Amino acid sequence: MKIARTAALLTVAGLAPLAAMATPLTAGIEPAQAAPTMAASGATVVVADTSSVQKLDPDVVTNFLDFQALGLIYDQLVQYNSKLQLVPDLATSWSYSNGGKVLTFQLRHGVHFDDGSLFTSADVVASLQRAVNPKTGDASASFLANVKTIVAAGPYAVKFLLSRPDTSVLNGLTSVNLSIMPTKAIAAGTLAKQPDGTGPFEFVSWSPGNSFVMQANPHYWGGKVKIGEVKVETIPSEQSIASAVEAGTVQVGLLTQPQVADHLPKSVRVDKVLDLTYRALMLQDRKGPLANLDNRLAIACAVDRQQVLEDSVFGQGQVVGPVPLGPFASKPVSAVCPAPNLASAKRYLKKAGDPNGFSFTAMTSTALDPTSSAQATVAQANLAKVGIKMHIQNLAGDAYIQDWLKGKFQAAFAWNGADPNPYTMYGRYFGTGANLGVPAGYGSAQLEKLLLQGDTATSAGAQRATWAQFSRALTSQAVWIWLFTAYDYAAVSPTVHGFSLQPTNSTSLYSLRTATVS
Amino acid sequence: MLASVARRLLSMLVTLLGVSVIIFLVLRLLPGNAVTAQMGVSAGLLSHAQRVALDHYYGVGEPFFRQYVSWLGSMLTGNLGVSLSSRTSVASLVGAALPVTLELAIASMVIGELIGVLFGVFGSLRPRGVVDNAGQGVALVGLGVPSFVIGTGLVTFLASSFHYFPSSRAFAGLFFNPWLNLQQIFFPALTLGLGVGAAIMRTTRAAMLEVVSTGFARTARGKGLSKFVVTWKHLFLGALVPVVTMSGIQLGYLLGGTVVVEQIFVLPGLGRLLVNSISNRDFPVVQSVTLIFAAGFIVVNMLTDMLYTLIDPRTRAR
Repeated sequence: MKIARTAALLTVAGLAPLAAMATPLTAGIEPAQAAPTMAASGATVVVADTSSVQKLDPDVVTNFLDFQALGLIYDQLVQYNSKLQLVPDLATSWSYSNGGKVLTFQLRHGVHFDDGSLFTSADVVASLQRAVNPKTGDASASFLANVKTIVAAGPYAVKFLLSRPDTSVLNGLTSVNLSIMPTKAIAAGTLAKQPDGTGPFEFVSWSPGNSFVMQANPHYWGGKVKIGEVKVETIPSEQSIASAVEAGTVQVGLLTQPQVADHLPKSVRVDKVLDLTYRALMLQDRKGPLANLDNRLAIACAVDRQQVLEDSVFGQGQVVGPVPLGPFASKPVSAVCPAPNLASAKRYLKKAGDPNGFSFTAMTSTALDPTSSAQATVAQANLAKVGIKMHIQNLAGDAYIQDWLKGKFQAAFAWNGADPNPYTMYGRYFGTGANLGVPAGYGSAQLEKLLLQGDTATSAGAQRATWAQFSRALTSQAVWIWLFTAYDYAAVSPTVHGFSLQPTNSTSLYSLRTATVS
Repeated sequence: MLASVARRLLSMLVTLLGVSVIIFLVLRLLPGNAVTAQMGVSAGLLSHAQRVALDHYYGVGEPFFRQYVSWLGSMLTGNLGVSLSSRTSVASLVGAALPVTLELAIASMVIGELIGVLFGVFGSLRPRGVVDNAGQGVALVGLGVPSFVIGTGLVTFLASSFHYFPSSRAFAGLFFNPWLNLQQIFFPALTLGLGVGAAIMRTTRAAMLEVVSTGFARTARGKGLSKFVVTWKHLFLGALVPVVTMSGIQLGYLLGGTVVVEQIFVLPGLGRLLVNSISNRDFPVVQSVTLIFAAGFIVVNMLTDMLYTLIDPRTRAR
């Protein structure tokens, strides 16, 4: 569109709205759950989210929707299934040798990138070398911290030479940030504008802030993709997304607000899944009354996590411990007070020498987590029952991030990303030389030892025992107060079959690779 | 006349220069920078070498003055820069969004003028009559109910009752698909037009009531002119100056005030671009869009002033 059209607009604008008004509403109405339009090789599915695709280079994306959209174009070496177990993706199998210091992947044969080139081990080496190059700025490069070298062992095998046995590297490799890209495109530097992967869909177009379009990859190694085209549209309000699904212009609406999902008509299917993120009250052990273990334990016993869940997300979620979901989920959720216990809280306060309580400030950011204010208000009321005065400081998103990164807070209501592997989640906070050690606000040799022990353990039994001990250590020291994990929702048109959300946010749209449209 | 226009153009340039300095400084006073805005708390996961490389890439830490001069130089050559977030040219982003906002603003103005002028004129001819009371009711809703409430209500009602929400389909250009385009623009324009119409209605009514009892109105009626001619050629023309002033102010606000309605009705206009860019600390886009809003306001004011000379001969004489 050119600016010159405004001149024409001036002349027609006077008539246009009148024309629209004069025509009965029904003339432009599409039937509810209208049959999706047909693309070249199948139906089009429109997916709506409040966010927009912000970047195309998988190494640098950080936005959930970027992960979700690019996750349909790119594959990784390994992936999570719906039970959060590691399953093959571009690697068909993997094994450790040399005391756990060599990790060998066997790669899939006959896979092609969108540009037609054949996938080989050279692409894996080039992709992961690009990820660890500081100039790329890939935040997931930290998952490869223990990888000394990656070498091709023939065209369809790669070896990771590790500085120590490392089981969490597999979990890290599921990230879209560690996607496999063609060597040719990496060398040409075209990936920021032209995504090129081996996944079920191919890139078609991108309108920043508005839409992102993909079409079925006819050469997809995982079998025929039944959906012809996926359009990811940005609709900034969840209420408008719900209306668009009702109107039949959107087939899959991604939602987070339970009150919006609850009010959808019965003709719209609502799929929900516990999200692999968690809310926690992070405490800084290093200063003031929170440096006293008994004061932190008093908080852990006084806060009613179920009530926090009820009041902030209408009970639509689950109270969790440090490891919210997956094979190593924390049970019980707290080693000290799994349920609120005011008598214990008072005992801890007395032991701390603060029988009448103490005061501290907790920061929140409703810009980053709209529910954080409600969480804080409930916790404030809970703590007041034992004499603990919690001041709430609500900050703008960037101000919160700056203070959080510098550890400039006493306590913070945080919405953190999680992973089925506790090392992947907490190595960055409590591991040796952790990048996020400052905001974590707590460090101990015991936690470092348990993290290392869990990450190097090779048997499932030893891993389970270590991670259970790790959860106990975190909650018995009331390092933070883990609160809950909430549901994610998708409003799905009845014309879409086989779509279901996945617990990992980055793979929410994964089931579109096998979904069908009637 | 020409000298006056030249003077106004010069003062417009000075104002825009001032606006550019203010926008530039205010954005830099906000906490955070492009790296933390893009990555959030994940920025903490970066190694020192990564952070240095990204700071360099996004121009974080460059002296403000050098950044400002570089941006201003680019603006003067018509190059609006490159979006930090999407790495696409700002000119292409603005070029796609500006026509949507202009179309919405103009359509809202047309609806607002129709509501405001018709209710204002006919209401003033018979104060406290049926039309006047209806107009006052419309004005009450337009001024009293925020546009986000009207917009959300409209969207929800149309979607749940008629399964109708044309804006949720990909935006269609006016010349690409005029019918869909009009459906997509009409309801947001109506939402905004109600507020505009309310302000114009009150101004028109008050101005009409003032001229209706003047001598030239009595003379026109005494000459035996038809009611239509008296109303529109004599009374309305006499009351037009304040109506034009109010319309100019409303259009200026509309050019920058479509943000919320664009969000609700999913229109890819400048308002939505601005909101996204602010949250991403995408300085080149925010600076350019804000400057365009400011320029729009100034141009509309200038055109309004020039219109006075066409409407009111006394202004020409001055």
